[in-house]
Parts: sequence; C-alpha cells; structure tokens
Amino acid sequence: MENEEEVLATSNEPLDPNLHKKHISMIERLSNRHQIRLDNSLARQSESDSSSSSTATAPTTASFLSRFSDSKRSIDSQLAQSRLTDPAQLRSHLDSISASISDLEKLVAESSYFLPSYEVRSSLKTISDLKQTLENLNSELIPKKKFSFKNKASKQDRDRSVSDSKQTAPGNADSFSVSLEKLSFQVRDSPGLRNKNGETLVKNFKGSEIGEFTVSDLDSCEVRLIGSVRALFVHRLKNCRVYAGPVTGSILIEGAEDCVFVMASHQIRIHNAKGTDFYLRVRSRPIIEDSTGVRFAPYCLSYEGIEEDLREASLDEETGNWGNVDDFKWLRAVQSPNWAVLPENERVGMVQISNSGDGIEGN
Amino acid sequence: MRMLMVGLDNSGKTTIVLKINGEDTSVISPTLGFNIKTITYQKYTLNIWDVGGQKTIRSYWRNYFEQTDGLVWVVDSSDLRRLDDCKMELDNLLKEERLSGASLLILENKQDIKGAPNPEEIAKVLNLEAMDKTRHWQIVGCSAYTGEGLLEGFDWLVQDVASRIYVLD
Repeated sequence: MENEEEVLATSNEPLDPNLHKKHISMIERLSNRHQIRLDNSLARQSESDSSSSSTATAPTTASFLSRFSDSKRSIDSQLAQSRLTDPAQLRSHLDSISASISDLEKLVAESSYFLPSYEVRSSLKTISDLKQTLENLNSELIPKKKFSFKNKASKQDRDRSVSDSKQTAPGNADSFSVSLEKLSFQVRDSPGLRNKNGETLVKNFKGSEIGEFTVSDLDSCEVRLIGSVRALFVHRLKNCRVYAGPVTGSILIEGAEDCVFVMASHQIRIHNAKGTDFYLRVRSRPIIEDSTGVRFAPYCLSYEGIEEDLREASLDEETGNWGNVDDFKWLRAVQSPNWAVLPENERVGMVQISNSGDGIEGN
Repeated sequence: MRMLMVGLDNSGKTTIVLKINGEDTSVISPTLGFNIKTITYQKYTLNIWDVGGQKTIRSYWRNYFEQTDGLVWVVDSSDLRRLDDCKMELDNLLKEERLSGASLLILENKQDIKGAPNPEEIAKVLNLEAMDKTRHWQIVGCSAYTGEGLLEGFDWLVQDVASRIYVLD
C-alpha cells in the first residue's frame, strides 16, 4: 500500500485533471484505511506489550513470538490441568482451552502479514499440535455419549428443522432440488466409466476430444486409460486396479478401498482412501486427506507410445515426488501413520497394458 | 486492497494467483496453509491471500475474513460432482458478517477443458441470482492454464472495490 503514490507518479497515463484529483483523493483514502489497520494492530500489540516500550512501536516478529509463546505456555498448563479437573467442570474447562487456541490462531492470522513465512508455518504447526492434544484429551476424558435415545430425538429434530426450513424458506428448498436435477443431468453427459462390477474397462484417449474423465462406482474392475487427458476424477472404487497414462492437469480421488492405482499427473489429491497402493509420477507433492493404510511407490506403467505421451505432458522425468506425501490430517513433523512407502519387495513389476484384448471400450 | 481467494480444493486458486503475477505455474503443490502475494495491479497494491481449500483446513478460512475488500470464489468448472459442495461452502461464506461488505468475484476456472459447462450454467446451479441484493458480484469464466478471463475478472474486482471506497468515505 505504501508504494501506491509512487506507482501513481510513475504512471504515464494521461489523466483528466478532474479525474486525477478524484483519483488522488481515493488513493489517500486507501492509504488512510491501510494506516488505520496498521494503527489498530499496533494498538492491539501495545495493549499487551505495555510493559516493554521498545516493542510497542512496531509490529515485530520478536513481540509476536513472545506473545505467542506466553499464550502457548498458558494453554499447555491448562491442558496439563485437565486431568486434575473436577469432571463436572471438565467440559467447560476444555471449551475454554479450545477458545484460547482459537484466539492464538487468530493472533497468527492477524500477524501473518509481517511475519516471516517460517514463523507462520511453525506457529500454525504448534497450533495444530495443541488442537490434537486437546482432541485426544477430549476423547480420553469425556465419556462417549449414549446414543440410543438421544440419536432418535436428534433425528426427529433434524427432520423437523428440515420441514421447518422448507416451510419458512421455500425459495431455498426449490433451489436445492433445481441444482440436483441440473447436476444429475450434467453428470450423465460427462465422459466416464461408471457402475461396473468385475469387468476390464479400456479407454483410449488418443485422438479424442475428451478433456475431463470420470471413473466412478466400480467394484472389482481393471481400468486401463491409454493416452492423456486434462483432468481425471475417481470416485468410489472398491477392489479395483487402475492404470492411467499422463494427466496434464490434476487427479482427484475420492473414496477408494483395496485398490491399486498406477498414474502420472501434475497434481494428485487423495481423499478417503483405505488400504490402497499408489504408484505415482507427479510434478508436485501428492496429498492425502481422511485416508489410512495407503502406500506409495514410483510409477511403473508401459504401453505403446507412453514415452511420447509422458514427454508431451512434461511427465517424462522422475521427480521423486511420489514419496513426498502431505497428509492434511497429520500436520506435524513426525511421519504420518496414515501412509507409508511401499517396500520394494512388495511392489508390482512394470505393468504392461495394451489397447487390444478383452477390454470394453468406455463411452 | 486486501483480496481473499477461497474455493474448494483443486479449483486452481494458487495457479490463478501465480498466473496473474506472471510466475511459473508448472509445479504447484496443493496448498497446505496459505500463501500471501503482494502485487501491483494497475495503480493499486493488492494483498492477495490464497488460502488452501482442502476440507480439513476450510475451518481456518474464517481467520482471514477480517478487513477483506474483495472476495474471490474459485470454482473448478469441470468438477460437476462437487458443485453441490461448492454451493454449500459458498452459501456458508456469504452468511459471514465480516465479509458482508466485500465485493465478490466468482471465477469459473478451467473453462479451457473440453466439456466443462459454461459460466451461465454454473451460475444457475450455484443459484447466484438468489444472493443478497446488496452484494456487489460478478461471475467470469476463466482459465488459469491459458490466462484467459483472469484480467477481466480482476479488473472488475479492483474497480468495484475502488468505487465502493469512493462512496464509503
């Protein structure tokens, strides 16, 4: 914001004097707004730092760090006290810790514009660790609710509230059904392989106009995708093997159980996978979320012309990223328990697929 | 001006920010946390907050709402299956009081992919016409891959924020 005037001064655009005046006054307002924001954050800072005048003059990393570590210490000690807390008070005690953690999170967000990115990352990690500890305490110390009766009641409540909302806001209810109708219509239109059981499915993208492709609701199938596509969506697969040529955009996998995937892509996101092996070549870091028992190994697919397809997709080089997995459910330094590198002696060899044979062409 | 970029994971938020800034977009990992970019756009300095869209970290979005001038909602036009998720998250976001004054730019990304529905069709699914009448909003089809539509979208957003600030003070 500070260099706005500078930018304006160097701008060569001829300006109507009136417009120019107006513009300058707006720039002033913009920088005023910015100043107010700075002042506000300074005020917040000096409130808590009133004891040391040196840090009250500017938002500094040091003053942030001292505030952050003070709060963290107090949260740590509250967490430690949880075990000694009277069970009747426990829930409110844990709630207040949760609120303190949220405040800390807010502090990081507000301070992040002047913090070095390392500090932002490490403080966010600290926060997620605190949350994890709190969550563990929560499940350990607070007895599970008895479901039998409450569940029914809440279901009724939900039903009632649904019908209430239908009565009070018919517009919303309508829009929802419209959107569903619209969706099912479109989903039918998009190219893909769906709802099969125990089949071998082959799709060759060479010379096709297909941009995005969907593979969904398959059980005990083998899927061979030859050639390259822009985007691949995989949804609800069970006991399947999927062999795919290069994807030049991204792959999104949601729901896979006891499967094997061999795929190459610029980006890969894996959600809700269980007991599944991935043989990947990927330009960026693959990510998993809500997944357990997933294992990773390098890409190992071969078909006639794959070298050229990979080269054209800029996926001809092994980046080693197949093993750089980020687990969004495990934001900490130690290895996530949800995924592992597939031991070499358990890996399949090179997989050779072809167009011909017993395959069924997808639509 | 402070801009907040949000949307489901895999919609292309980081790619859009890098593309606008003229940076390499060939290797981008899914965002774990957030990125902040300060770029000079026309005569303005934009602080763009690009926040990760994975489900686990969507609850962190609210930490970035404060003082947002422009809100950019990015949609993966080719992800038909999750358009309902997308609508739900957007609806939740627009209920947020701290964002009530922010101009809303909806970028229908990945328009370059064959078979993707056009911006009008998506606007219908998202039921954008039902939005609060006081909201300033605009929907623009774009491709972070080719860069098409990005400048058109941000031109509108920056102009709209600027003109609101005229009126406001």
